[in-house]
Amino acid sequence: MKKDFAKLNYYEMLDIKPDAAFFEIRHAYNAALQIYEADSLVSYSFFSREERKEILNLLEKAYSTLINGKGRKNYDNQLMQTGVLASPGNKAAARKPACIYDVKRQSGTTVLPKNNKAALRANVAQNKRINEILSKDEISGADLKAIRNELGVAIEKIASETRIRMDYLIGMEENKIDRLPAVAFLKGFVKSYLKCLCVEPVEGICARYIEGLARMGKNNETGVF
Amino acid sequence: MVHIWPIGGGKGGSGKSFLTSSLGRLLAGLGKKTLLVDLDLGSANLHTLVDVPYPEKSFSDFIRKKIPLLEDVVSETPVPNLYIISGAHDNLDIANLPYEQKVKILKAIARLDYDWILLDLGAGTSFNTLDFFLISQNSMFITTPEPTSIENVYRLVRAIYFRRIRHYFNATDFKALEEEVLRQFGEGSFNNPDCIMEVIKEAHPEKNLLLENDFNSFKFKLVLNQLRKHDNIALGSQICKIIEKHLGLQVDFAGNIAFDDRVHDAICQRVSFLDRYPYTRTAYDLRELSKRIAQFTGQQLLIRYT
Ligand SMILES: Nc1ncnc2c1ncn2[C@@H]1O[C@H](COP(=O)(O)OP(=O)(O)OP(=O)(O)O)[C@@H](O)[C@H]1O
Ligand SMILES: [Mg+2]
Repeated sequence: MKKDFAKLNYYEMLDIKPDAAFFEIRHAYNAALQIYEADSLVSYSFFSREERKEILNLLEKAYSTLINGKGRKNYDNQLMQTGVLASPGNKAAARKPACIYDVKRQSGTTVLPKNNKAALRANVAQNKRINEILSKDEISGADLKAIRNELGVAIEKIASETRIRMDYLIGMEENKIDRLPAVAFLKGFVKSYLKCLCVEPVEGICARYIEGLARMGKNNETGVF
Repeated sequence: MVHIWPIGGGKGGSGKSFLTSSLGRLLAGLGKKTLLVDLDLGSANLHTLVDVPYPEKSFSDFIRKKIPLLEDVVSETPVPNLYIISGAHDNLDIANLPYEQKVKILKAIARLDYDWILLDLGAGTSFNTLDFFLISQNSMFITTPEPTSIENVYRLVRAIYFRRIRHYFNATDFKALEEEVLRQFGEGSFNNPDCIMEVIKEAHPEKNLLLENDFNSFKFKLVLNQLRKHDNIALGSQICKIIEKHLGLQVDFAGNIAFDDRVHDAICQRVSFLDRYPYTRTAYDLRELSKRIAQFTGQQLLIRYT
């Protein structure tokens, strides 16, 4: 949650894309000044004097670096070395010169390539651990999580793709019966989850998962099922 | 589905009651069954703005158990489709409502059968007021373009944030959290939700995820009222930007409402400003705002009491 200004890169500080034109940089800097200047109505009560001073210094530095062609190139190189900016791809760049950089978002959003379904399917087929899990009679939340981890898919990614609420996804993976929705919904969720990971057969695995939960529910005397 | 919109923020006189009554009139005019609830107990005056000068029933009848069902405290207004639960005759302060009563009221409100329910919450930030904000994923903060009023919006946003965090901890764990935050960030840091979230992320990753999910689902709206000609029209979106960038919370700017001296005149004559001065900039802004909020949807009841 916390967004520490000093940890942002210059583009983020100024709220511009890495391929912003010079006039956009100048414009963004002026807009930022309007917000952060000492007599600004917007931020007057938001920051302490020291915080404001620090932010203004950083903005100044960001602006003076990016507005200078050489400085910007050096800074971009730094970002590429630390992996924040993707290096301009050789082939792609030739065909599509407009946007050569792409800011990689922070942790949690392990970005998978768009056309990843086939790759996922191949991974599922080859992964020994996953196949062991899938051959079990009963599949638990922890098993789902293990499969997901083996495939290296972030839970946030599933949340955004399936639009299932995060707390349900976590509840599913942690077998938290009291946190889960009614079975009818849950079945749908589990299936979307599996589809998102390209794990098959969806129906069969889902049934084994629900069975496992039902048995657990009986042992715990929680009346969900 | 009922849409509940808690409305508050700013400070006294920023126009919460005027906006609540105007939005209520407009939504009712769209054929939506709309209820206004005056929760600014103690300084209730919403009834006057919708032309119900002498409400026969009020919230206190429900709180003091004179009338057992909340729907029976509802009064009609002269405007078709518009209803009100008045807060008049209450010398209670919402800040002092005992817990059980607050829960009872929250539950009763969520069960009412209306298309739209607008809650006038006044300018307070007591825990009770915050819980009324958290009844719905939608909320509207009203501010004027004055530093004092804007400051209160920041205070309110932080307070809601803090209140939601509190919800996931029992007293013992919360105490432990406080100690850890103070240990890591020093004196005064427990007032700062940013520091608290930092610690939660480390110590309670599962709660962190739930909280982030909650914070992502909030659909707070900011309205800038009483904007005069020379005021900065970008102020509202700049306020939202600073909240997003530095608190990590999203508040959407929902629009400016122009200042107009005739608002005062209409209120004094106890007539509807929208009806009397429909061709003013202010009336236009109000209509635009009502159209915009009529499109927003959000789930109700983030708080589940067990
Ligand atoms: N857009 C506007 N243009 C001109 N005057 C306005 C406008 N909005 C509100 N006012 C004035 O501000 C006064 C206070 O408005 P209102 O009672 O709605 O504030 P409030 O936020 O509900 O105050 P409180 O917190 O005390 O309940 C109104 O009587 C009206 O004269
Ligand atoms: Mg009021």
